Amino acid sequence: MTAVAKTCLNAYGVAGTVLKRSPLLPNICYPQLKRRVSSKTPFDINDSDDKYKELNDYYRDLFTNDNVNTTLGATSKINIKTEIDLLNDELANLTDTAVPPHKLPLRSEDLQRVVETPGRFVIKSRSNDPYFNLALEHYIFKNTPLFEQSIFSSQRLLFYVNNKCAVIGKNQTIWQELYLNELNKRGYEVLRRLSGGGAVIHDLGNVNYSFLTSREEFRTTFFNQLIVQWLNKQGHIQDFELNGRGDILYKKMKCGGSAFKIARGKSYHHGTMLVNSDIDSFHGLLKPSGQKGVRWVSPSVDSVRAGVTNIPLGSTEQFIDICTDGFQKYFKSADSIPVYYCNDTVSTNSEIEKTRALLRSDKWKYCSGPKFKVELDSSHDVIEVEKGIVVSSTIPNIKGMDFQRLIDTGSNEAQLQCLKPLM
Amino acid sequence: MLSTGRVLLRQSATIPRLFLRAQSTNSLNKLELPFKYSNSGPSQVKYTKDHEWVSLHEDGTAFLGITKYAADALGDATYVELPETGREVEVEESVGSVESVKSASEVYMPLAGTVKEVNTALEESPQLINEDPLGKGWMVQFEYELEKSKAAIDGLYTLEQYEKFLKE
Repeated sequence: MTAVAKTCLNAYGVAGTVLKRSPLLPNICYPQLKRRVSSKTPFDINDSDDKYKELNDYYRDLFTNDNVNTTLGATSKINIKTEIDLLNDELANLTDTAVPPHKLPLRSEDLQRVVETPGRFVIKSRSNDPYFNLALEHYIFKNTPLFEQSIFSSQRLLFYVNNKCAVIGKNQTIWQELYLNELNKRGYEVLRRLSGGGAVIHDLGNVNYSFLTSREEFRTTFFNQLIVQWLNKQGHIQDFELNGRGDILYKKMKCGGSAFKIARGKSYHHGTMLVNSDIDSFHGLLKPSGQKGVRWVSPSVDSVRAGVTNIPLGSTEQFIDICTDGFQKYFKSADSIPVYYCNDTVSTNSEIEKTRALLRSDKWKYCSGPKFKVELDSSHDVIEVEKGIVVSSTIPNIKGMDFQRLIDTGSNEAQLQCLKPLM
Repeated sequence: MLSTGRVLLRQSATIPRLFLRAQSTNSLNKLELPFKYSNSGPSQVKYTKDHEWVSLHEDGTAFLGITKYAADALGDATYVELPETGREVEVEESVGSVESVKSASEVYMPLAGTVKEVNTALEESPQLINEDPLGKGWMVQFEYELEKSKAAIDGLYTLEQYEKFLKE
């Protein structure tokens, strides 16, 4: 019952919960919620028009309590409603007020307008699709305006929460970092992001924050220092701190990671924050640095392994609220800093979809990292790979093969059993 | 001296940019390939506001890299991403990136051209980007067409203009 009481306060909190359980629902939920706030009548009220007679009768019946017969009629109509309609009805009943218009997701043209207009803002993505969220981040980064002669005043802060996925840095070797079979088995998406840094596991208990500023103002520790201040103000005085690498620690344990991108006079710092992640279930997904039976010779960027912990907040929303508030106060100016919402159906455009497709492509995931050489202890074999393709090897007849396919088929072929440690 | 420099680089996040700027020497190293490719040196050396440099030789060959200022600001390079040779690159297109501690920094082509060579020494030794960004740390050798590129070249900074831009 307490959960219900809580949901009464915030319609979108509920929508967020529903969304986490089934990614299919919110797409259908939003238009329905949106319709509720529209003041326009979706049809012309005219009793003489047969076309709308049935609908008008239905609505009249719905709002007329004293007619038992028509109530029955209405009930039969409700019965044919889908589960989604019922959920939306339930949501609507729980909330006295409809979703405020400012909390509706930005439509594609509005997204373009706010991104291209100078000024600070916060964007919260309601999508849990990691491909969409990284593509949205890239779109905002690329299209934020920059004026050379004036002080940069278009800092942006983006939040998103991804479904289960493993994300590696732009310049990493995917097979060196991840147990791909295991990730696949456990239903994780695998992504290569556009920024630097190491491998990380996401789930719905992890918040991604992304702070955008000018290249000129870029400092790797700047935003994490602010987060530490904001969190320490929440009553956990001194529990949060930064380590030498600029990572946030909670009670001396790492609770998130960071990566950065710099391009065209702008920069972003994006980081993860573990709030209520199922950390135990991450076990066996990221490869350790010293893997048994395998030696990687590669300029690939290292992941720094560390034990991690959740921070003691009730929800990812709470972390987002703390940071939004902190950001709004820190960058306070004459105009208040707006908060916008996005989702992956309404708030998208061709540029975002293009990046989303790139991020989804095998070419980007498997063939765009650094070239590398891998040595197998068991058979003393060596395989050299460039852009995902074997360019030379002591194993006969594999030159020119797709490395990923080779590992996949290797599990079934006796002569390629030596590849097992690479899986 | 070198080790002192690298310690400073690691702490660059806390060093005011003005200090870095005053320390930057962004002129081309006359002892290395980007200068010595032609006997008489390059006909022009130009700079971009994104902190790339390009040395232009008379035969239509050019070298591209990042400036000392950019290298110092990034800190120790851990990986340099380079383009494929033979690739035709549009003006302003990304041709690679420099990764330092968790940061991927894109590098753009100031002119259109065809990639002829990349500096493979950077694969083994990305730190050359920090040690000698305007010499041993060059990234891309490309061919350009002088006539077609004239306007683009004129739009780039000279060393004096770039240093002035840094001080602004």
